[in-house]
Amino acid sequence: MVEALTHAAAHSGADHAGNGHASHVSLQYHPGLPIPNGKLIVWLFLSTEIMFFAGLIGTYIVLRFGAPTWPMPHEVHLSEPIGAFNTFVLICSSVTIVLALEAARASQSTSAKGWLLATLALGSVFLGVKMYEYNAKFAHGIYPWRPHSLIYEKADLNYAAAVRLRLEALKSQFDAEDSSLKAALDPEALETDSRVVTLREKLAVVDDEIAYEKKAEITAATDPLNAERHVALEDLADRIMPLVHDGGEEHGLNDAHEWLRLPIRIPGGNMWASTYFLLTGFHALHVLIGLIVFTLMIPMTLDVARAGFVENIGLYWHFVDLVWIFLFPLLYLF
Amino acid sequence: MSQSDQAHASADAHENHAGIAKYIYVFIALCVLTTASFCTYSDYWPFKEQVKITWAFMMAVSCTKAMLVILFFMHVKYEANWKYVLTVPAAFMSMFLILALVPDVGMRSHWFSEEAEQYMAEPRTTVKPVHRHGDTHPDNPQEHSSSGESH
Repeated sequence: MVEALTHAAAHSGADHAGNGHASHVSLQYHPGLPIPNGKLIVWLFLSTEIMFFAGLIGTYIVLRFGAPTWPMPHEVHLSEPIGAFNTFVLICSSVTIVLALEAARASQSTSAKGWLLATLALGSVFLGVKMYEYNAKFAHGIYPWRPHSLIYEKADLNYAAAVRLRLEALKSQFDAEDSSLKAALDPEALETDSRVVTLREKLAVVDDEIAYEKKAEITAATDPLNAERHVALEDLADRIMPLVHDGGEEHGLNDAHEWLRLPIRIPGGNMWASTYFLLTGFHALHVLIGLIVFTLMIPMTLDVARAGFVENIGLYWHFVDLVWIFLFPLLYLF
Repeated sequence: MSQSDQAHASADAHENHAGIAKYIYVFIALCVLTTASFCTYSDYWPFKEQVKITWAFMMAVSCTKAMLVILFFMHVKYEANWKYVLTVPAAFMSMFLILALVPDVGMRSHWFSEEAEQYMAEPRTTVKPVHRHGDTHPDNPQEHSSSGESH
């Protein structure tokens, strides 16, 4: 007990440290917990953070296992190796911040700053990879909200109508561009102009798909009792973006022509997008806040007087790592 | 290993219980465990079909990693008993929160209305369906009755 109290005194600030052993009498009546106030506050904050992330992760688990279906990782363009790499990066950053703390305790300020900069760099790598991943989702029309999101839950007539509306919008846009090009260019230059050639190619793709969609929609709408209706709509959705059944990635029209951006059918995709962006978004926000604090610490002298501060931000950073340790298998591997 | 020696010297001076070597061991253990959970993704994982075994394995690995980080990196192993005051209630509150969500959210699909089922995604089969034109497909009965209404 006396040891713990002395320990507290040694860490509770410069005033005690200056007196050394002379203040041992007052230690007998040291109030509160045997830790500095700053550390106590960080731990209280972390206990609220435990509940915050436990709420988010728990809701994800409950939503996911109560859902009628859930997308396969490759259907929503999740890459397991990238996720594993990010896990490795965060583990490394946990090691570097704990080494920064050890260096600060030994009053090796330069060494502590080096480890702090390494942590800052690793955290930035994590956020960079996260941005790359988000970008891959957005590029495929996977957003947590409409109208950006292209996700439909199932291939029904509602979905087919959405595909038709997008195709018609594209066709009228390309027709307008075509006629403006015709007005601007000479008739002989028209056939060789690269803009016209690509536009004609795009129009051909759109016309082809409009014909296919009409056929599927007519099959589905005119004969509701026919089993063919289900097959026709499923085929339409599979052409645009096939579902992944055996783990490998398959490519559809949306992958072949990036400008097409037709509505896609991902069963459970909307709930997946909401939970994925919420969980990873709040985690990335925590990483960002940690990085801001690390940046503010760069001008400081990280000696033993600052060791408590380094310890506190380290505790926060380890907690952020901890959350990712659970998020990685839950989001990427389940 | 002069850096390690220095760390030990400072450990004595500042009652610092965890040496650099300990952090390195924990780091190696964390890397091995991450690789282990990543192995479930590889083709050599023997429980591809038994997803529940895979999930249990991954959660066990995650909890082990979490305990390593908490005990050694966050120094909780060397803290006084106040650590239980802060962490155990928070952990219990988290568990109660999740349990409280199970009846209304986790089991929500037990009470879906027929109307909701018309528009929600269908449970998928794990194998690639081979149905194509001509095959008899077990069509969703809701779809027959709702045919052109959304249109």
